[in-house]
Amino acid sequence: MSRDHEPDHTHEPPAPAPVTPDDAGSQALAEALHSSFAIVKVVMLLMVLAFFSSGFFTVGPSEKAVILRFGRPVGEAGKVLLNSGWHWSYPYPIDEVVKIPITEIQKVNSTVGWYATTPEQELSGEELPAGASLNPAVDGYAITADRNIIHTRAMLYYHIENPIHFVFDFVSASNTMQNVLNNALLYTAAHFNVDDVLTRDVAGFRDAVLQRVSDLTEQEQLGIVIDQCEVQSVPPRQLKDVFSRVTSARENRNKLLNEAHSYENQVLSQSGAQAASITNAAAADRARFVESITAEAKRFSDLLPKYESNPGLFAQQTLVQMMGPILTNVQDKIFLPGRADGKPRELRLMLNREPPQPKTAAPNP
Amino acid sequence: MKRNLMTIVIGAVLIVIFALLLFVFQVRRSEVAVVTTFGKPTRNLTEPGAYGKWPWPVEKVYKFDQRVQNFEDRFSQNLTADNNNLLVMVYVGWKISDAKAFFPKFAGGSTVAAQNMLESMLRSAKSAVVGRHPLADFVNADAKQLKFDAIESEIEQAVQSQLQTNNCGIEIAFLGIKKLGLPENVTETVFQRMTSERQILISQFQYEGEAEAQKIKSAADRQAAETIANADAAATRIRGEGEAAAARVLPVFQQNPELANFLLRISALQQSLNQRATLIFDERTPPFDLFQHLPTNAPSR
Repeated sequence: MSRDHEPDHTHEPPAPAPVTPDDAGSQALAEALHSSFAIVKVVMLLMVLAFFSSGFFTVGPSEKAVILRFGRPVGEAGKVLLNSGWHWSYPYPIDEVVKIPITEIQKVNSTVGWYATTPEQELSGEELPAGASLNPAVDGYAITADRNIIHTRAMLYYHIENPIHFVFDFVSASNTMQNVLNNALLYTAAHFNVDDVLTRDVAGFRDAVLQRVSDLTEQEQLGIVIDQCEVQSVPPRQLKDVFSRVTSARENRNKLLNEAHSYENQVLSQSGAQAASITNAAAADRARFVESITAEAKRFSDLLPKYESNPGLFAQQTLVQMMGPILTNVQDKIFLPGRADGKPRELRLMLNREPPQPKTAAPNP
Repeated sequence: MKRNLMTIVIGAVLIVIFALLLFVFQVRRSEVAVVTTFGKPTRNLTEPGAYGKWPWPVEKVYKFDQRVQNFEDRFSQNLTADNNNLLVMVYVGWKISDAKAFFPKFAGGSTVAAQNMLESMLRSAKSAVVGRHPLADFVNADAKQLKFDAIESEIEQAVQSQLQTNNCGIEIAFLGIKKLGLPENVTETVFQRMTSERQILISQFQYEGEAEAQKIKSAADRQAAETIANADAAATRIRGEGEAAAARVLPVFQQNPELANFLLRISALQQSLNQRATLIFDERTPPFDLFQHLPTNAPSR
């Protein structure tokens, strides 16, 4: 065909002359191909290396990782989780690495028990005036055991303990946690009376919520550990005033009772002291009385032989002995000798309760 | 020759990889898979791992999430056994347990279609169960009469049995009440009742406080009086004991009543003259009788 189109070249034999430049060209091409083939080989080698080194990965300090080999977690039952550090796995599609945040504490808020409010209102602390009733579509609340309405909300902090359950068994475990918390609030409110929730047993209410949450999470095998639970409960805004009046009435009652108790303490301790002093005085009297009569009896027994030996003399002696000290102590002593004519003397007494000036001792006769 | 071998190896590897892609698929831990042969579900795979299959026109693999999915139904009004209107919302954790059954039931295994069906089942189960229980089963201070858990599990069982009879390939992992409410106009009457209850409490606290305080005070007074009276009685008894002890000593004095008498008089005298006494004697009183017989220098008339 080429011959038909190019008749000029037909009479010329296929000369080797053009072959030489042809050969040189193909040689150049071959060389070029050869070198590029070498480059391709190097690139392929690099790619293979990259393929295998892509299997290295790091696990951060607050996460764990699981290697799925053909979809199945690798490792024995307790050793599935990889700790932080360098690890290696086969590249995809053989292995697949799933990283799971673990030590970081997660938080979930309840959504059913609180009236309609926005974060801005919450921050500024202002409240919209409440209507006369609660719209079930907007306002959340809980019904207590005595069929009162209260608002309550909870904040739960937890961390993941078993990531296998948490990640591979639940589409959204945090959503499930929220529902569990909501359920726990309603359930607990359903067997607490309104005053227990609000004032009398606030801690008990919180503990019961916590208990319910941990029961449910255990039952549903969420693989989490609860760190903390905060519960806040308030009476409906519509009844704020009347609830606060109850509180002040209760406080007033407690004040009265405290006063009564302090009065009680005072009266009882006073009466106790008084009783002790009465009995002590009596005991002292008894001791003194017995003591003195015993002493007297002893003296009597001592004196008796003397007296019996000569009663008259004894009496005289005793009297005189007694009079001696009396006379020295007595303030005024007046001796009236009999008048020579034998008539009685006349004395005039001026009685004062207290002498205005103590007289100097009357001269001894 | 060497190059040929290399080519063959590479070719073989490529063929193996290609074949693996065609003939092998994997099921992750969080998935279940169903294999259809010419459009008909034939195999059910629930365990994770690698599995073989025939390539496309023969067999096809459908994978589903087998993790627990959350679903909440509408907050709907139901009538309790004692004719109270109660709004109830439940949440459900459900998962695909049997992909072979699930797949043909809902067009292409759509979870939305499944949830729609679940919702209608929940609605009927909920109204049936709520209708069997009075309000006191939902809220009650007595833990024994509160049937919250029982209600939840009754709803769960009702839904579960419906799912089983329909053979949906769905399993309920858990079910709970998410929200309870009362119709809006009822909340108003509840508020009125709560207000009157509060007012009763207020007056109760007032009276209780005063009465209790009075009781405590009067009891304290009574106890104080009793203590004093007891102490007085004890004092009398103690003094009596003293006198009894003295009486035991008395026989000593009876040995000579005269002396006892004399001594008593002496001591009485001593006591009476102890302080601020003024004594006036004439000469007959001893020891001044000594003056009587003394010679005096008084002039005798």
